[in-house]
Formats: sequence, structure tokens, C-alpha cells
Amino acid sequence: MNEAEESVASETPAAQRPRGFSGELVGAVLLAALGVYLLVDAGAIAIPGSSNTVGPRFFPYAVGGLSVATGALLALRVLRGDRGPADDGEDVDPDAPTDWRAVAVISVAFVAHALLINVVGWPLAVALMFAAVATTLQGRLTPQAAVRPFLVGLTVGCVVWIIFVKALDVALPGGIVLEFLTSWF
Amino acid sequence: MAISDLLGGFADAITPVNLLFALLGVLLGTAVGVLPGIGPAMTVALLLPATYVLEPTSALIMFAGIYYGGMYGGSTTSILLNTPGESASIMTALEGNKMAKAGRGSAALATAAIGSFVAGTIATLLLALVAPTLVEVAINVTTADYFALAVLAFVAVASVLGSSPLRGLAALCLGLYLGLVGTDVLSGQERFTLGIPQLSDGIDVVVVAVALFAVGEALYVASRLRKGSVQVIDHKGSWMTREDLRRSWKPWLRGTAFGFPFGVMPAGGAEIPTFLSYATEKKLTKHPEEFGHGAIEGVAGPEAANNASAAGVLVPLLTLGIPTSATAAIILAAFQGYGIQPGPTLLTTEGPLVWALIASLFIGNAMLLVLNLPLVGLWVKLLRIPRPYLYAGILTFASLGSFAVNADPLDLVILLALGLLGFAMRRFGWPVAPAVIGLILGPIAETNLRRALAISDGDLSVLVDSWFSRVVLGLALLALVGPVVLRAVRGRRPTPAEVQREQEEDREVQRAAGTGDWGASS
Repeated sequence: MNEAEESVASETPAAQRPRGFSGELVGAVLLAALGVYLLVDAGAIAIPGSSNTVGPRFFPYAVGGLSVATGALLALRVLRGDRGPADDGEDVDPDAPTDWRAVAVISVAFVAHALLINVVGWPLAVALMFAAVATTLQGRLTPQAAVRPFLVGLTVGCVVWIIFVKALDVALPGGIVLEFLTSWF
Repeated sequence: MAISDLLGGFADAITPVNLLFALLGVLLGTAVGVLPGIGPAMTVALLLPATYVLEPTSALIMFAGIYYGGMYGGSTTSILLNTPGESASIMTALEGNKMAKAGRGSAALATAAIGSFVAGTIATLLLALVAPTLVEVAINVTTADYFALAVLAFVAVASVLGSSPLRGLAALCLGLYLGLVGTDVLSGQERFTLGIPQLSDGIDVVVVAVALFAVGEALYVASRLRKGSVQVIDHKGSWMTREDLRRSWKPWLRGTAFGFPFGVMPAGGAEIPTFLSYATEKKLTKHPEEFGHGAIEGVAGPEAANNASAAGVLVPLLTLGIPTSATAAIILAAFQGYGIQPGPTLLTTEGPLVWALIASLFIGNAMLLVLNLPLVGLWVKLLRIPRPYLYAGILTFASLGSFAVNADPLDLVILLALGLLGFAMRRFGWPVAPAVIGLILGPIAETNLRRALAISDGDLSVLVDSWFSRVVLGLALLALVGPVVLRAVRGRRPTPAEVQREQEEDREVQRAAGTGDWGASS
């Protein structure tokens, strides 16, 4: 029971958030744009010649129309100052400013690991991703601070790989070293 | 006969190997469900790949354990962690957290565990009794009726879950779009595949669920990570006393009565019954002064409601093939992964499998009761995992689950793209569940609509031909218009967050009164 916790609980309401530009407007417009794309592209779906009255185009038209309408209405609501309640979570600090650097690092690290899996194997690729993400979230971005996360990630990656590949027969590239070391069982 | 079928299910489930899988599922489900930021839906999505290599019966038995284990794990988190969590367990957290701070954490955990067990057992029994009867009704349901049911589920999911119906609808649209990508089942035409060959099979439900729940959550938490050390409250004090038991058993039963029907209804979800249960217990209690300071009734009731609704959700899923929660949508995807299509014919075609699943729900529930309290020390250790490692680990398992499906790096790029979508949705307050339900239910709705119209030769009146579809579509209209009218007539119903705030304010007032007295006497 402390003061900090009280203030978190009382400052959460959406009403007290700034009324400036909201990224949600972009989201609503993009949703409407998605609807337009569905409406336009649905016309290009080939209809096999049959007597069937409702073909593969009907549902895309319906979803497209719904998306345009929802996106437009939502955009209007956002312009009028309506804001959705941002998601709560145990580890989420609702008052913290958005840490865009963390989002960027995670995104880049995740794409890099996706491309590396077939080159260096899943355990090493995942260890590098793990190290990048954990080091960023720690807030200390020095090479020394990345050693422990990397070792933890490598251990997790290797253990998971051995369980899933050797015991459960899931196809997962292990990389030359690990596959050689475990080739005997 | 339901009883003999159920006994047959027990005979299938109580083989040593299947018991082992049930135990494994329960342990994994609880361990993952305990981790903060991971709700039941994400638990099920992340652990789905682990069941892929098993044969269907064992896989579903393990799955039943994961499902109930994830529910249990969530309540432990909300009682012992000092921060507000997800919506379904927020009511448990309200009083449970106060009890833990007052040194009665063990009693809170015990009433939650036993309440979950009681509610889970009664609700699973109801499931076993209701399912065969409902299947008899459902077998006469036409394709048009099915379409009506899907529409009702869409509307209810979008407008009931979450605080803003329009935002629910936006999320639903995204899910319906994702469900359209791929090859059309009825005509064999590719739709919206952008010429990418991997997309012609459609976007995998597991990839979408893991992306929206796990990757989206990791990105969102990373963007607003709570700094400082993790505070886990010690679980102290005795387990339940006689007095605790006396005060708990009625809330357990009332919570079950709230939870099960709401779970059965399309888009009931767990949020409303837990809320109703809490409000009821607050009204009926003989110890109103304890509410807001750790009243055991306030833990017992909502926790029972939460678990009863989890079993209720399985009724429409197993009898109609209609998922009414995000978790149910993922379970449906799991069924489809094993080549099984839930629906009215499921009980006849896959009878033994379904009864083994229901039997293992009972078994898993009993295992959880036995395991959970003794293992609470282990769960507390999991709660203390440093957050940088926790979220890096969630991404690791997200990568594993999605890559294991097709062994294609492109799936991981799609995973990240959809994860960024999930991140944006969380920021905007768009609920994630309608997207997952739209993705899985959209194709079902489309197929049934087109079959119905093909039979009627395009005559739209077929959609309102039967009484069943008229009633269901009427309900859908009601669910769409009702909240708007209600809000206009008597204002908004308070959200769980507002109830919590109200309580904080009550406490503030009481404290102010307390300091006032103290001031006067000095």
C-alpha cells in the first residue's frame, strides 16, 4: 500500500489523456482503405461458370462494405475526440511515454532472426533475437550487458531445440554445430 | 445415454499414457498461464504446437489440461501480483490482492482454487448433460440457421466484448478480411493472395492468434514497460479456515450459476459474469465492511464464475461448432488441425473422442486442485522472472510455434506484421478477440450462406425461412441496437476499472475520515 500505486489507480481514466492527434485516426482510415481494396479487388476474382447465384465475390463485397463503413464512422468518432481505452496489463505502465526504440529494436531483431534461421539454425538465430530484445528492455545497451541475455537465450534455444527436434520430431534447423554435436542420438 | 458415454470417455482418458498427457497439459497450462501478461487465450495459442505431434485423443486430452490450467494460472497471478491485469480476472484481483496484502494470501489462493474446482466440476457436468440434448436440436439446423448463428456471434462478440462496439466491429472486419485470404473452398478461386503462393492456403489461424496475442502483447508491453523491480506479495497465513469455507461455498455456487449460462451464450465471455458475481456478493454479504479490504466472498464468487464460463464456452463449440471466445476459436482451430470439424455431427462421428475430452476436463480439474496449492511456491518463482527475459522468451516461443507449422520463414514475417497490428490495436483500444473469432468464423458463415442461397436459387427469403433463424437474427439485431438504446436511456454501466477506482476512492475517503479523527483528537 503506497502512494505510487494509488496514483496509478486514479490516473488511468481515458478522460484525462491528451486530446491531441491520435494514431487511431490512421488506423481507422487504413481500415476504410482496406475496405476499398476489398471492394475493388473482389471484382477481379474469377467466377467459374455455373448457375450458382452467390459466388466467391459476394462475401468480399460484404466485408469490404462493412470495413469502409466502420472505418469511416470510427474516423469521425476519433476526430470528435473519442478515444479507446488503451489495453491494461500486469507489466504495463499506463502513464509511461511510448518507448518507440524498443518497438523498433524488437521488430528488426525479429525479422533478422526469421531470415537467419535457415542460415545459422534456429537456436542461434533465436539467441541473437533474445539477446537484442532482453538487452533493450533492460535499458542498458552496452556489449557487456548483452552477454548474459545472449547466454540465457542460447541455453533456452538449445534446450527447446533438443526437446522439440529429438523428442517430439518437429522439423527445426539446428545449425551445423548443434546438429553435429547431437547427431549421435 | 450421456452417463454411459461419459463413463466410456473416462475409460479412454484413464490410461496411464493419457493421464500423463493430462498432467503435462495441466502443468504446462498453469506454468504459462501464471506468467504475467499471458491470458488463457495466449496460453492455448502458444502451447498448441506442442500438441501437434500427438495423435488426436492424446492431443485433445493434453489440450483440456492446458485450457483449465491456463485459467487457474491467471487467478494466481491476479492475487499475488501488485498490478491490475486482464479483464476477466480483474474482479478476482480486486479483493484477492487486498487479502494477500493483509497476510491472507493463502486463503485467497485456496478459495480461488477450490472455487475453480467446484465451478469447473459442476459446469463440466452441465456440459455433459446439455451437449447431447442440444445436438438433437442442432441436427435439424439448416445452413441458413447456421448463418444466422454466425451473425449473432459476430454482433455479440463485437458489441459485448470491449467497451466500444465500433472498435469491436473494426477488429471483426480485420479478422473477416484475414479469413478471406486464400483459396475459396466452394469455387476453388484464389482471393486476395497478392500472388504470393504461400498465401493460397490461407493465413494459418495459429500464426494469427500467436501474432495478435503473443507478439502484439510483447511489443505493447515493451513500449510501456513498468520499470523497477517486480513486486510479488507473499502468500502467508493458513489455508482455508472453517469460517472461510462457510463464507465461500455459497459464492462458489452463485458464481457458477452466473458463469455457465454466460459462457454458453454467443459472446458471453467471462467478463460480465465475473462482474455480476462480484456485485451480487457485495450486496449479499454479511461483512460489507470487508469489501474493498479483502473480502473472501469477492474472490470466491468471481473466480467460480470465471471457470464456469470457461466450461460453458465449450457447449456451443462442441455442439454447433461456433466459437464464442478467443480461446474457443483457437480450440476450434486445433480441432481443424487434427482434421475434425466441430458441429452437430461431432458427437456421432467422433463420440468417443468428445467424451474422452469431457472426461479429461474432470480429471484435469481434479489434478489442478491437488497440484495447485502445494506448487504455489513454484508459481511464485515464475512470477518473479525478470521482465526483459520473460518477453524475450514469449517471442522465442512465438517463433517456435509459428515456424513449426510450415517451416517457412515467411510465416515469421507475417507473424511480425500481424504482431504490429496487434500492438496498434492494443494502443487504440480495439479488442483482439473479435479479430480471432472473425478469422475462424468468417469462412464458416460464408460457406453456410452460399450453400443456403444455392439451395434456394438465390432467393434471400431463405435466410428468414425458419423460426430458428428469425429468432437468432432478431437477437443479433437486439445485441446490435440494445447497448446503444440502453446507454441512451440510463447511461453507461460501470466498467471493472471504474469499480476498482470507486473502491480506491472509498478507501481514500475512509482514510481521510480516519486522519480527520486523529487530527481532532490531537
